[in-house]
Parts: sequence; C-alpha cells; structure tokens
Amino acid sequence: METTETIENKNISVQRTGAEERKLQFKDELCTACGLCEKICPVSAIEVEPTGAMATTEQESSKVDINEEKCVLCGMCACICPYNALDMEIEGESIKTMEAYPKLIKSAEINDETCIYCKACETACPRDAIVIARELPERSKLVTGEIEIDKETCIDCGICEEMCPADAITMEHKQPTSDSPTVSSDINVDKDKCVYCLVCKKACPVDAITAVCRQCSYGEYDIKPEDAEIEGSSFIDDELCVDCGWCQEICPVDAATVEKAFEGKITYDQETCQGCETCVLACPCNVLSFPQSAESGDKPEKLHIDEKYCIYCGACEKACPVNAINVERTGIKTTPIKSKSWEKAFESVKN
Amino acid sequence: MPIGLVVYPELCHGCGNCVVTCPVNSLRSPEVAGGKGPTDEVDIIMMVEDGSIELKHSEFCGKCGTCVRSCPVFAIRLEEVEEAK
Amino acid sequence: MGESVINTHGVIMPKHIISGLKFLAAVELRKKSYTQREIAEKLGMDRSTVSHYLNGRNLSWNSIEIAEVIVNLCPRDFSTLTYSLLKDREKTRTIVKICSNKKFECDVKNSCIGCGVCADTCFMNAIVLENLKAQIDSDWCCGCMMCWEICPTNSIEIKEVEDDGNNGNY
Repeated sequence: METTETIENKNISVQRTGAEERKLQFKDELCTACGLCEKICPVSAIEVEPTGAMATTEQESSKVDINEEKCVLCGMCACICPYNALDMEIEGESIKTMEAYPKLIKSAEINDETCIYCKACETACPRDAIVIARELPERSKLVTGEIEIDKETCIDCGICEEMCPADAITMEHKQPTSDSPTVSSDINVDKDKCVYCLVCKKACPVDAITAVCRQCSYGEYDIKPEDAEIEGSSFIDDELCVDCGWCQEICPVDAATVEKAFEGKITYDQETCQGCETCVLACPCNVLSFPQSAESGDKPEKLHIDEKYCIYCGACEKACPVNAINVERTGIKTTPIKSKSWEKAFESVKN
Repeated sequence: MPIGLVVYPELCHGCGNCVVTCPVNSLRSPEVAGGKGPTDEVDIIMMVEDGSIELKHSEFCGKCGTCVRSCPVFAIRLEEVEEAK
Repeated sequence: MGESVINTHGVIMPKHIISGLKFLAAVELRKKSYTQREIAEKLGMDRSTVSHYLNGRNLSWNSIEIAEVIVNLCPRDFSTLTYSLLKDREKTRTIVKICSNKKFECDVKNSCIGCGVCADTCFMNAIVLENLKAQIDSDWCCGCMMCWEICPTNSIEIKEVEDDGNNGNY
C-alpha cells in the first residue's frame, strides 16, 4: 500500500494503490478556496490557502494543499465540495455514482418547454455555466409589407438610402459618364433588413417608392404564429454550475429551477466592514455588491448582500480580513448517510 | 509553502496607498480610516518610513490582497514564504 | 532467493522453511479430516508430496522445528515472516489461517470513516467496507494488529479470545 501525490498545473492527484486503487483529484480552476474540505477532513490533511489572496491576486500555488502523508482517501472532501473541485475514484469509478457515498442534494434545471430563450440566465450566471442557443424567425416573414422602387421614376438622389433606419436600401453610386449620364447604376432593397416603416416612401421627393402591404389594407396585422416561433435549447454545464440560483431568480418565465444543498444565513457588521471589496471578489455566486449612490449626498449601505443567490459556502467569511462577515449554515441536504461518522462529519459543517 | 505578506522596499515609491487601503489598518486606526497616514500610536500592519514601505505587524494581516491591488509598482505582494507570518 | 537454491551443507534455506510450514499446515488439515487430495489443493502441492509429508518423509526435522518457532511467534511476526518467505498474499493467507493457534474478536467502532486503509493493509483479506464502515471477519483475523495501528480514527478493537477449537472454514 502506497500513497503518492502529483501536482500538474495546480491540479492535484493523490493516489493509493493497495487492495483497491483510490484516486483523489483536485481541479484548481473550479475551486473557490471556500474551506469546506478543510473543515470536514477527518485527518487534517487539507489546508486551504487564504481565500482573499487567492481571489484577488495571482498565485503560483494551488488553492488547497493536500498532505499525502496524512490523506487516507476517505472521500469526505469530494462529497462536501459544492464546486465540484474534488472527486474521488475507486477502481476508476467516481464515488459520485456510488450509493454508499452521500451526495449534496442540489440541482439546477431549465425547462425547455417554458424557456423563451431570452438569455437572461446565460448573462447572469456567475460561473458561465449556461449556454442558450436560439434560432430566430426570418425577419422578412414578420414584416407586414414590402416596398417597391420604380427605377424609371427614381432620380438617384440617395435620400431614401440616407434615411433608411435599417440600412436596407443601397445605391451603387458612380460618376456620370457621357455614355451613362447617371449618378447611380442601381438601387436595391434588402428585404431581410427592411422593416416596412415607410420612411423612404414619405421622404422620396419624386414618389418613386410604393408600399405593398402583404397582409391587409387596414385593420389588425395578422402574422402567422408559426412564422414568429423562436426555437432554441438550453444547456447547463454540471461541472461549472454551483446551483447559486441566479438563473431561477432572473428568469422572467420561471423556466429555471434550482435546489440548494445548504440552508443558512449570511450577515455582516457594517461598523467593522471597511469596504475593501475582497468578499465581493471572492464570492463565486455574485451574492455581494457595493450599492451605488442614487444621488449626491446619499449614503448607501456599505455592502449589499442578497441571500437569494447564496449557497452558504463561507468563502466570503474566510476572505474578509477583518472578520466582518458571518456565514451560518443551519441545514444541509444530502442523500441518506448510513455511516455514523460520516453523518457526524456532515453535521459538523453546520454552525 | 504558506502565503504571506512580503514588501520590496527597493521598488516602493512611498505613495502610502497600501497603508490607507488596508482594511485591517483602517479598522485599527481612525487616522488611517480618515485617509491619512497614522499619527496615533496604534499598531498597524505597514507604514511608509523615510519614503519607503516597512512591515510593522504582519501578524495582523488577513491576506485579502487589497494592498497588493492598490500598489502601483508591485512593491507589496502576497506570495509563498518559508514561514507563515 | 528460494526455489533455485540447493542446500547441500545442512543450511536451512527459505524453501525448506516453507516446506516446514506446509508440513505443519498439512498435519493441521489432516487432523480436521481433510483428504490428501483436498490438502494438496489447499496448499498448492502435488498429492505425492502431501503423502510423503504426512508420513514424515522427504523433510528435514530441522525445518519443521523452525516452522514451529515461526508459527508460535507473535501473530504479526508470524504473518510478515511467512509473507516474506512466500512472497504471495494468497498463499500467506492460507498458511497463516491454517496454522494460527490463536483466535481474535474484532470490532469496528462507529467512528470508522470507511477510508479502506485497514482493508488495504490486511494480509488476511479479512476486512471489507460496507456502507462506509469497515467490517472485519473475526474468523480470518490473524491478530497482527496492523489495521489497528494504521487506522486514522482509532476505530478498530481487536482482542484475543480463548480458542474454542472451532477455527471456522479455511
């Protein structure tokens, strides 16, 4: 039986070969140095580097240090990590797929039936875990008419081209020559760009433009609903997603559902806080922000905390250099834990 | 190796940014919180003396990196050190 | 070492000690009314050798004496020495199990975290993990205490109990 450790590009791998092969893997880019692994490790083999320093400065070392002489590869750190930065494999199989090992109950889902592909979640997601792909309808099908230019009447003045708000009209300007004494050789309307606003028609000094309504002469426009349909798909990268709740909160049609593993409370002491911004930079879920003054003389609170997005990992508390933040974990949801010691260990991260 | 606060006096211009942005300093000293250098007798982490930075009480450092971000010349850094301070 | 070394000067070589151990194991199995065929199978020998051994032929009594000393060492020395001679975990397991004249009762406390270090260490493969807790098969425990020593949470309790003569299944 032998335990070995390798570090490559800040990623750590601790391996034990014996009756069975165990491998603990740490991915630095997913780690936020929140400290939960250090807290739960039963043999004090993990040391997490200062959260603030890791969030605000360039560092050459990994965010955690695993002492391979102490690590017994029990897998607790991998089971508690809310950021998927740690995983353990036994005989090549991840313990995340094994029933004996408890898992945090957390998830994020986007219902494609309800989703209108507005991309608000994609923009809001603090971990860039969401990709919304959408296919928009053909614009020309949603426009109620089109314009026609009578090239015989047209005097090539270029007024319509200059006024068109959609840049749908283009002229091929040229110098007149004796064999072709005009200032333009052609004028074209791009039907994909034209929105049938009729500015060109109103501006044309020689009435060379006619409007042709496609649907009706008067009354309600009647666009076929299938022509207006937006198709798309949503994708959440499970490895990057931290189930913070931003997608759920920002979605205008309640298509996103997030379940969180930890319950708790986050508070800060306004007197102690010096507004250094370390917590704002350390929080992986964009829970914290500095409020802007609405007008001069207005003094907003030092720090704005919105618990809706918090997963109670404790990174901000650990990052604060003046201990102004308090993160309290009051509940933790996991799949059933059969081992007494594991139950106790998971309870111990509450406070 | 642990990460600790290190200063490079030979690079320092003595601007004092680190002294006043440090949240630990400003919590400890009302003078610093007011945006000035300390004139009171309070122990703070670092001070500018004779035009260059000097570490006084690095044991108070919360390793947040605010000073590092405020320094225009990389004269104060959080980096791996032999012994944690 | 071992197989290829031929002893011509009355020096006891590892191979001879192994023979001594196998002799003791064969006698032990015979006492439990195993047939010669079964004994040969268990110990990985051919039947004629088993027959010779049981009749006291082809064996130096000196190596049997040494084997007896090894068997009666403290359980850890017995198993580690046997392993260093046999260089095979499975064979060591068989010999130790048959020849061990001690019986142990094992218990794992709830503080066990299921790290599996004990299972990896156990020569006798007496430990398995179930629901993130080590389960030790007392029948197979040789009492070497290596698991007890290596356990990071001090969760293992092993005590020697009086041998009731029932050594379980080999």
